[in-house]
Amino acid sequence: MADLAPDDRFRRLAELVVGFGANVQPGQIVGLTSYVGKEGVAREIARAAYQRGARWVDVVVFDDLLKRERLLHAPEESLDFVPPWLRDRLLWLSDERAARISFSGPQAPGALDGVDPARAGRDLLPWLAEVGEVVNGRTTNWSAIPVPTAAWAALVHPGLAPDEALERLWADVAHVCRLDEPDPEAAWDLRMGALGAAAAKLTERRFDAIRLHGPGTDLTIGLLPSSVWGAAVFETVDGLTHHPNLPTEEVFTTPDPARADGVVTMTMPRELYGQLIEGIRIEFVEGRAVRIDAERNAETLRVAAAKDEGASRLGELALVDGHGRIGPLGTVFYDTLLDENAASHLALGDGLSMGVDDEADRERMNRSAIHVDLMAGSPELEVDGITAAGEHVPVLRRGDWQL
Amino acid sequence: MVDRAEATDRLAELAIYGANVQPGQVLAISSYVGKEELTRVIARKGYQRGARWVDVVTFDQWLKRERIAHAAEETLDFVPPWMRERLLWLSEEHAARVSLSGPHAPTALEGLDPARAGRDLLPWLPEVGPVVNARTTNWTIVPAPTAPWAVRVYPELEAEEALDRLWEAIVHVCRLERPDPGAAWDERSATLKANADRLTARRFDAIRLHGPGTDLTVGLFPSSVWLAGGAETVDGIHHHANLPTEETFTTPDPTRVDGRVTATMPLELYGSIVRGLRVEFAGGRAVKIDADEGADALRAAAARDEGASRLGELALVDGEGRIGPLGTVFYDTLLDENAASHIAIGHAYERGVEDEADIARINHSSIHVDFMIGSPELDVDGITTEGEAVPVLREGRWQI
Repeated sequence: MADLAPDDRFRRLAELVVGFGANVQPGQIVGLTSYVGKEGVAREIARAAYQRGARWVDVVVFDDLLKRERLLHAPEESLDFVPPWLRDRLLWLSDERAARISFSGPQAPGALDGVDPARAGRDLLPWLAEVGEVVNGRTTNWSAIPVPTAAWAALVHPGLAPDEALERLWADVAHVCRLDEPDPEAAWDLRMGALGAAAAKLTERRFDAIRLHGPGTDLTIGLLPSSVWGAAVFETVDGLTHHPNLPTEEVFTTPDPARADGVVTMTMPRELYGQLIEGIRIEFVEGRAVRIDAERNAETLRVAAAKDEGASRLGELALVDGHGRIGPLGTVFYDTLLDENAASHLALGDGLSMGVDDEADRERMNRSAIHVDLMAGSPELEVDGITAAGEHVPVLRRGDWQL
Repeated sequence: MVDRAEATDRLAELAIYGANVQPGQVLAISSYVGKEELTRVIARKGYQRGARWVDVVTFDQWLKRERIAHAAEETLDFVPPWMRERLLWLSEEHAARVSLSGPHAPTALEGLDPARAGRDLLPWLPEVGPVVNARTTNWTIVPAPTAPWAVRVYPELEAEEALDRLWEAIVHVCRLERPDPGAAWDERSATLKANADRLTARRFDAIRLHGPGTDLTVGLFPSSVWLAGGAETVDGIHHHANLPTEETFTTPDPTRVDGRVTATMPLELYGSIVRGLRVEFAGGRAVKIDADEGADALRAAAARDEGASRLGELALVDGEGRIGPLGTVFYDTLLDENAASHIAIGHAYERGVEDEADIARINHSSIHVDFMIGSPELDVDGITTEGEAVPVLREGRWQI
């Protein structure tokens, strides 16, 4: 693995997300959602964006330790208050056809320790209810990248000294973002080509359902007649290509929220509202998660799934093959962006309208204020497509495509 | 040595006291990178007082540097609409507001073209003046130490040592060592208020400031009133707008200022340092701005709009305060303006005049830049309508 100097990594990551991920255009406004501790990369992004001709880089900074103060001390009934300017800002970015960049990776992983999950689940910021609508409206070219902090590094690499852990996490991020390639954009184009081809083959088969079976899992998820599979290359209404997630290794679709039956055991923990949920097991009947268990913090996931009508149904099904760069590291990153691209997964909550072709099916896809990805994949997970005639066709075996 | 955690706690407590946060209020905090810890403690205490939501925005001068260095010239005065709407929303909500002063990154704008830097006034917004004048929000500004600021103030010290030293100074000037700093400020404010009332009672026609390099006569309005200490919102909430505060100030007549002033302290403006500043006024306007260093930054500010070259404030600082005697330049307007008598070009406070007719004549501008002209050597006289000169301050002591 090539070694990049720390400042060089900030710059290369910034250039990748500005030039390739969000594909910032001259004259555009760039909305950036950052966190305390990620200033170095935020500043490099501002520089790269202004150098490309951005008109204004609009940065808002969140702090999970401030959120902790709110969740511990604010009145219960105030916890779902969202200041109007935050919503207005997002809608303004949409109206302006802005570029949007956000950072993943927990800034301060223990920040919400000891907070009542029912209270924590009421404050979804910086997530806004309007995000889904803006994404589906395809008005903004956007991208999310992981940005390390020392506290996150200590969680991922607990055996190492703080400096070494941060160094190691940066090396991981540089590797999975392909910053160690001579031309990261070319490396990404190559990988996106392979994922696009796999997605096209899946769509062509028009499976009626997908069955996931492996240790602790046997779940059949119905698809809509016009469900299409895609890789994470999006295009805005203005025709701008952007990569909403870097890194991305997934091929995903929008399932039928009324047809999911069976049981699924998650293969990775999931961080949600500041709590780490481990050993998750969910039972689905006719599309609904009727039973949610976990070895730790099940209540947090139950709170999320009870948020609204669609929160207990599936909005996404994604398959991850064994050829990506994240899964082989065998590392749990406690970050959805990285972990969901390590393994096949499904998401409770809001569906992506680009995952279905027909207007009629779009009416039927799932709607919710939440979108919570949960990782079910492993090399042992077998994936089959079920045809309309009921035939089972192998799709993934030991991480290799069978189509 | 100062225990920083304890000092942070006491400073946060003072900020909540200064803004006088009420149960059920929204509390806005305007913060900077490097001031997260104080921000969090203020948020905690705000929620504990019953605040409904603590609305924090964080600015970063290093981000501003990227903009000024690389963005297209014509974009530099763009202000995102949400920032203005946020402030107007805080005003409509009758929110509490806390701002943290002190340059978090004093070197961030070094070497940039001051004409470009002067076009980006954020986080200052043109709506700040009207919101302050409307007295809808109970607000305060407190200084928040950071290591880079400390090194600017105490360049001879190592960063950690400098930060300890700055904390010591902040504890002292904010009176945080007192058992009840809030009560100490109530007491000091009462003294300042008494001085202000005596000045108002004299109804001077003008104030003359004279000392080394300075001889300036500043006209007052018939209804100019001198203010000090706390302020009160339309809802009757008392608040300390600046902590620390040592000044007694009024709103002058923007058409009657003549003479010249030499600043007694350097001024930090849009990231540039203005040193050895000399300004000449004629008929109320700053007609000539010179400086040993950084004159262009103030010239750019003064050219911003019609009112930017006229006075919006005159403030007298006596020798009894805690900042002046330190003899330290803090490169922070909140502290430096309370060290010495000063004037400000730009926006004026409506509260500094009483009559409607005079309110219509006060200065308006999108800027408000204070610069310090006071020193123990500066003599201040009040000029009566008959033209008599009455001593007001001599060697930092009140004469009336």
